[in-house]
Amino acid sequence: MNAIQVQDLRKTFKVQKNREGLKGAFADLFKRQYTEVTAVKDISFSIPQGEICGYIGENGAGKSTTIKMLTGILVPTAGSLSVGGFVPYEEREKFVQNIGVVFGQRSQLWWDIGVIESFQLLRKVYRVPEQDFKKRLDELVERLELQELLNRPVRKLSLGQRMRCELVAALLHNPSILFLDEPTIGLDIVVKSEIREFLKDMNREHGTTILLTTHDLQDIEALCSRVIMLDDGRIIYDGGLEDLKQRWGTGREVQFQFGTATKLQQLIAWTEGMPVTWTAENELAAKVWIPLELNVSDVLGRVVGQADITDIKIIETNTDDIVRSIYQSGSAEKPEERIAALSDEKEAQHV
Amino acid sequence: MYYLDLLIEYLKNYMKTRLTYRADFWVEVISDLLFQATNFIFILVIFMHTDSLGGWNQNEVVFVYGFFMVPFGVFSCFVNMWGFSERYIVKGEMDRILTRPAHNLFQIFLENVDPPSLVGSFIGLIVMAISGSNLGLPFEWWTLPMLIILTLSAVAIYTGIYTTLTSLSFYSDAPTGILPLMYNIQTYGRYPVTIYNRAIQVLLTWIIPFAFVGIYPAALFLHRDEMRGMALLTPIVGVVFLSIGLMAWSFGVKRYKGAGS
Repeated sequence: MNAIQVQDLRKTFKVQKNREGLKGAFADLFKRQYTEVTAVKDISFSIPQGEICGYIGENGAGKSTTIKMLTGILVPTAGSLSVGGFVPYEEREKFVQNIGVVFGQRSQLWWDIGVIESFQLLRKVYRVPEQDFKKRLDELVERLELQELLNRPVRKLSLGQRMRCELVAALLHNPSILFLDEPTIGLDIVVKSEIREFLKDMNREHGTTILLTTHDLQDIEALCSRVIMLDDGRIIYDGGLEDLKQRWGTGREVQFQFGTATKLQQLIAWTEGMPVTWTAENELAAKVWIPLELNVSDVLGRVVGQADITDIKIIETNTDDIVRSIYQSGSAEKPEERIAALSDEKEAQHV
Repeated sequence: MYYLDLLIEYLKNYMKTRLTYRADFWVEVISDLLFQATNFIFILVIFMHTDSLGGWNQNEVVFVYGFFMVPFGVFSCFVNMWGFSERYIVKGEMDRILTRPAHNLFQIFLENVDPPSLVGSFIGLIVMAISGSNLGLPFEWWTLPMLIILTLSAVAIYTGIYTTLTSLSFYSDAPTGILPLMYNIQTYGRYPVTIYNRAIQVLLTWIIPFAFVGIYPAALFLHRDEMRGMALLTPIVGVVFLSIGLMAWSFGVKRYKGAGS
């Protein structure tokens, strides 16, 4: 069964246009002008139960708007959605019993009272039986090492401590679907990896479906088997992270340092017949670009035996670079076209 | 039952936070009382110049004022929507409310409970008792039940009106200045409506029915037979306006746009 099912989902906002200057402001007073902004444009996807799915995109791509529709906060303009068997905005109160929400920039907890008292209050709000609550709380507190924090008021916690408490607050009622909107924003590396580990465990032990938005691609690499990438309200990529790398990582680069002067022509001659591109910085340093379909070791094999090499460095395009270039181009389709175009060019050269 | 449970839980937490700022609590009580006292003095000043206000004597007007304080105190304690737009719309706290499994409007009431306001209700009851005994009003079998019914009805009217107005925040981005205006208009309801001109009477009775939170129900206890019909109408007006308020609210929530990211 799919935990989340979205079909042609759209959200349009009416935004006031503010005219310029005092005169404009005065005119606005009597006749408002509105522009329609479509934040989410007819997206469709489904997430099976027990999956961890990353939802990424630039600021303003429509991530938060989607999450807010999925959690029942916003009513969609068009399209259908079903989350955990409910239509979120229709039966909101029943529906939210089944989900947990963490908004990285907002707190679920009461500012002035002790953490444990916030938890108690949430227990009442979510109607969790006392025994279940105790068991669950002990488990979470142990797992996230919150023992000493429980009696402190939230305003005295550090961001990392608070975020761990937020996670507990969102999970006390044992939701089957967890929504995380930038859960690691502003956290240090230690807390980040702690939270990632914790989420992974939650997913493994309880089969919790997790949908998270983030700008930190390491979150995605550590957690997600699947990525949905959004740009300007549209899904531009939906699939595995490995696929994304394969598709976008156009190749690898190998840098050589030579002990004795080696000519560029020489290098090209050694790799005759391979679709690689050499560039030389000087006589002692050169780099070669190797497309994905070619094995790095094949290229190395040809060079290593013949040249006097002092150092080799293999550079693979990392996810950050991949995502950055996708954001810049605004589509995940382009690379294939570009590779196609590139190989056409090469063939032309060979002829 | 669930909601009663929640109410108690929230009140407990209110106490916990407030007891750490005890001074704050008393400052609020005292400033509330001073505010009421100035209004009260105003009534006394009027009656230094005249013996009757539209056919109502000083004790009667004071009694109406006393009654007015009772539902107002209850309303201010449990339904506090000041700063809704600022806190829930602009800062986006409505997001959090909407992801919890209790009725959203009720959650907002709970998060803003203000028990010091209840002190005003107690003072109101004392004012009623004193002016009532000055007038020699009999304490009938129906006095207490009617007092409870009419108080709840008046609270329903307040809640209806303010919920309707507050739900405008879902449409307009900027906080509106309409709430303070209402607070001013509602004070008209504690004087005999017959002293106003016809248009204001209609306004206070049928459009923004603040006459039903003060003068009309109070008239029942004063045995003012000309207003008995109106007094008995109070629960109906309460139900109608509360329904309008709740409808406007649930309609507004659907239009909620969220804030920022």
